[in-house]
Amino acid sequence: MHQEIDIKEMSEKISSFRQNAQELKEMGAFFPALERNMVRIMASIKMLEINISDVMDSDYTQENTF
Amino acid sequence: MITDQPYWNPVLETLDQERLKIIQLKKFQRIFRWAYDHSLFHRRLYDKAGICPEDIRSLEDICHVPTVEKSMMRDIQRKEPFPYGEALCVPLEDVTEFRQTSGTTGQPVYQPDTWQDWEWWSECWSYILWAQGYRPRDRVFIPFGYNIFVAFWAGHYGAEKIGCEVVPGGILDTPARILKIQELEATALMGTPTYLLNMAEVALNQLEIDPAKLSIDKITCAGECGASIPSTKKRIETAWGAKVYDHAGATEIGAWSYECQAQSGGLHVNEGFFLVEIQDTETGEIISEPGRKGKMIITAFDRIAQPCVRFDAKDIIEWADYSCPCGRTYRLIKGGVLGRADDITKVKGVLLAPSAIEEVVRSIPGLGNEYEVIVEKEGDSDRITLKVELLSHQGLNKKEIEKNLIDHLRLKTNLRYKLEFHASGELPRYDVKARRFKDLRTKF
Repeated sequence: MHQEIDIKEMSEKISSFRQNAQELKEMGAFFPALERNMVRIMASIKMLEINISDVMDSDYTQENTF
Repeated sequence: MITDQPYWNPVLETLDQERLKIIQLKKFQRIFRWAYDHSLFHRRLYDKAGICPEDIRSLEDICHVPTVEKSMMRDIQRKEPFPYGEALCVPLEDVTEFRQTSGTTGQPVYQPDTWQDWEWWSECWSYILWAQGYRPRDRVFIPFGYNIFVAFWAGHYGAEKIGCEVVPGGILDTPARILKIQELEATALMGTPTYLLNMAEVALNQLEIDPAKLSIDKITCAGECGASIPSTKKRIETAWGAKVYDHAGATEIGAWSYECQAQSGGLHVNEGFFLVEIQDTETGEIISEPGRKGKMIITAFDRIAQPCVRFDAKDIIEWADYSCPCGRTYRLIKGGVLGRADDITKVKGVLLAPSAIEEVVRSIPGLGNEYEVIVEKEGDSDRITLKVELLSHQGLNKKEIEKNLIDHLRLKTNLRYKLEFHASGELPRYDVKARRFKDLRTKF
């Protein structure tokens, strides 16, 4: 079934999503409504990574971070 | 339509085992390193054993990583960073959720979670509920006291994530909950097997409502092994006129396994999220083949505040020797969680699992759902008393029931019992986890 699903493309979009979210979060250092909402959004992005990117990147480099 | 999709994650849940194992190794390496680098408790444990993250090069290396037991967590908690102690891997200000274990086996263990951990919990539950047929448009009634115990909290959030409408039945009493289910025409329900059977009794006896005629078409159980015990599952399914699905999870672990709609007699381990190992209780050897029981050692790959790395859960499980017709490649544990290593005890020299008694009692027509087992010392031997309730309205002969019970107990457990028959409603009722097995022998 998953042959029809382009997880590589999904994974790339998630990665770009993560980068944008991280940048936006950093802009919220003095903006609680931005920073705290970004924490939640980034938790959701992490779920996308667990569901999709981690499968795609089964040879991902060991990052000491979640 | 998305609702027609059988899998919550069509990639992970159908991935071949070979590729899954590569991912599991990478994920284990990552969480092991995380715990090693961020928790003094874990680092001391691993340093003492002479193992570090670089030593994990294959799945076979993992068995050298020391296990963590609940008692070890008890020892380090109630200290700084208060109250979690040195297993905490994130700054205290990142913790957004507090839960604790029920304390069934001793001092409760505190469980901190970040918001990401909490998302992860509800993600685990999304796998469960989707596999059991929950979809947007389901109206899910959750009759539990929302409190410090995790119970169905993550089930609530998982159902919301899927798109269900969730009705929290928190502070309502049992009759009010039943009436609310009726009023709202709820389609799904979550509860412990014990409570679901009690609810059905209350509906019939106090409200004169037949729960099988309500709109519930699926039920998800947790907290006890009942929904994987065929006779208990059948009783709940008959009482509610609904499909009953089991799942297994724990506060310190997460929701790690689930029964799917194919109901093939086992629970799928969510192998994209957890590494489940089965350890021989005598030799410590890791069992990879089906058909041999052992205790579960489990790792949650992506839980970060208080990681679960090779946690000795004391659940007794075995791998199934068949795959599930649902198409998931996640392996099955046969018959669900078969019991707890703590509960399986020697009586008269024979190993006895309380779940075996439950299976017998609930397979006999004419007996109620409740029972109680008391093991006592009688001279140099053990005496087992089994208390059961006789259903008066069944019109069955007590002698026949007694004979049936004795025969089945002997066959299933190889033991003799002193039987006590009680009238319906006389034995204690439980709202959460039942404590029906009482071992009163002095332990040295």
